Amino acid sequence: MGLRVLDAVELPIRYEANIAEVRRSARSLAQSRGFDSFATAALTTAASELARNVWVHGGGGSAVVEDLSDGQRSGVRMTFRDSGPGMSQADLERALAGGFSTARSLGLGLSGTRRLVDEFAVDTRPGEGTVVVITKWTRF
Amino acid sequence: MPHDASQFSVDERELQSRRAFFELTDDDLRRLAALRPFAERHLDDITEAFYELLLGHLETRRFFPDEATVRRVKAMQRQYFLGLFDGRCDLAYAQNRLRVGAAHERIGMAPKWYIGAYRRYLGLILDRVFEEVGDPAEARAAYQSVQKLVAFDMSLALDSYIDANLQTLGRHQAAIRELSTPVIRVHDQVLLLPLIGTIDSQRAEQVMEAVLMRITEEKAEVIIIDIAGVPVVDTEVADHLLKTTAAVRLLGARTILTGITAQVARTIIQLGVDISAMPTRARLADGIELALSIVGKTIAPKAV
Amino acid sequence: MGGPIPILKVGPNLLTTIHVELTDSIAEVFQQDVLRAIERTGAGGLVIDISVLEEVDTYVARVLADTGRMAALMGTRSVLVGMRPEVAATLVRMGYGMEGVETALDVDRGIARLASPRGDR
Repeated sequence: MGLRVLDAVELPIRYEANIAEVRRSARSLAQSRGFDSFATAALTTAASELARNVWVHGGGGSAVVEDLSDGQRSGVRMTFRDSGPGMSQADLERALAGGFSTARSLGLGLSGTRRLVDEFAVDTRPGEGTVVVITKWTRF
Repeated sequence: MPHDASQFSVDERELQSRRAFFELTDDDLRRLAALRPFAERHLDDITEAFYELLLGHLETRRFFPDEATVRRVKAMQRQYFLGLFDGRCDLAYAQNRLRVGAAHERIGMAPKWYIGAYRRYLGLILDRVFEEVGDPAEARAAYQSVQKLVAFDMSLALDSYIDANLQTLGRHQAAIRELSTPVIRVHDQVLLLPLIGTIDSQRAEQVMEAVLMRITEEKAEVIIIDIAGVPVVDTEVADHLLKTTAAVRLLGARTILTGITAQVARTIIQLGVDISAMPTRARLADGIELALSIVGKTIAPKAV
Repeated sequence: MGGPIPILKVGPNLLTTIHVELTDSIAEVFQQDVLRAIERTGAGGLVIDISVLEEVDTYVARVLADTGRMAALMGTRSVLVGMRPEVAATLVRMGYGMEGVETALDVDRGIARLASPRGDR
């Protein structure tokens, strides 16, 4: 059986309070799908990081939370979209390598976030905003 | 009442969405309510015929080990059947149907059996509806309504079965994790983890999680991790150990690494791994002494 | 005291329990409250209890570490206590070890730690 999307919810990220909403949505879905406490914490922290990036650096955007199934495991996929400044390829590579050290720079937390999830993809271009897609599966 | 493993539940929005997709309208419910007398008339023969199938098939018979079970389940089945003709499909109804799936998961009855059983139900009802309801158009409409509600019920039962199944597996995973990472309490506030065998990333994760949970549960100040039983200590293993040590520190406890053989000592330095942040010892016994001194204890000979 | 996070004086130390989401505005007020409390009481130690927090992302981790550093500038030693296993595992997986921040298992151990000289461990 292939990948199936059982449900999807779109949440706006316009105000700081929305970050907590995104986190809560991820937490409630993960828990209901049998993720253990460590996996849940990893997912919700990743969601928090990325939602915050959207709010702080992206000028706002949205998060789509999807309930996945591959026939054997449950998964949660989250897509974070913003129409902010975007990043150049060089900046993106540096961010993913964990190169940024200044506290407020865009991309801080991206390399760390990647280690919390099973699948991680970034699509970004200067002036065209950023899309980050993360997926975490229950362990089998 | 046995613990209901499934946490799957529906809210009003989900209920309406599901009803819409199954095209289960208020008209259908009214039609079903109107069939109540029919249902009561055929309650006995349908129930008996239904169980003929389950008891007549070798693999499903084992779910009914004795007469008492058969009687109990038949009584529940009769309630279920009549419930189809109550003329309602609200949250309470849905919750009730969800319990069916959870119950089946609990006794280990696979979906194929109860999907087959639902099929039998529909077959039995179809025959009798067409016998009794004179007008073919009406009979067809009545059967359609039954079929919709039965399919709806089945979808709920399956969802909660799957969910309960995942919960059970999650618990098994936790149990397996416990067994393969035996953390021992050697003294008040001192834990010991003898690592045996190869440590791949998955195992390393499990080890770290088990260690962190135990430290929190026991309020341990020190954990001794003995690696004498780990055949290969390379950069990856060293990295896992460092991560675990960092996490233990965040909790507020300390790690002592013991079982460092001559070979391992050479490898670690040659690889350039820096584990100077944590105390290390060659022998477990030395590690235990150090751990005890950290918690303010010492091993002394008994006074003669 | 401006914000929702309480700061109590316990003997020679200050104790604060973070029980709400740390947003930008709350974090700012929290730090101000802590530093003003240090000014007012001259407390030698600060215990920050995060046992209620189910997750801590890099933003919150930074706020906590910064608070400790600010307190240190004023001569107050701080200890972070009660971190949950899931939180510790997640931070470490991200590569965030919060080195330089002292930690203890709970409030009692935190207070005991502040009573013993630094570098004892």
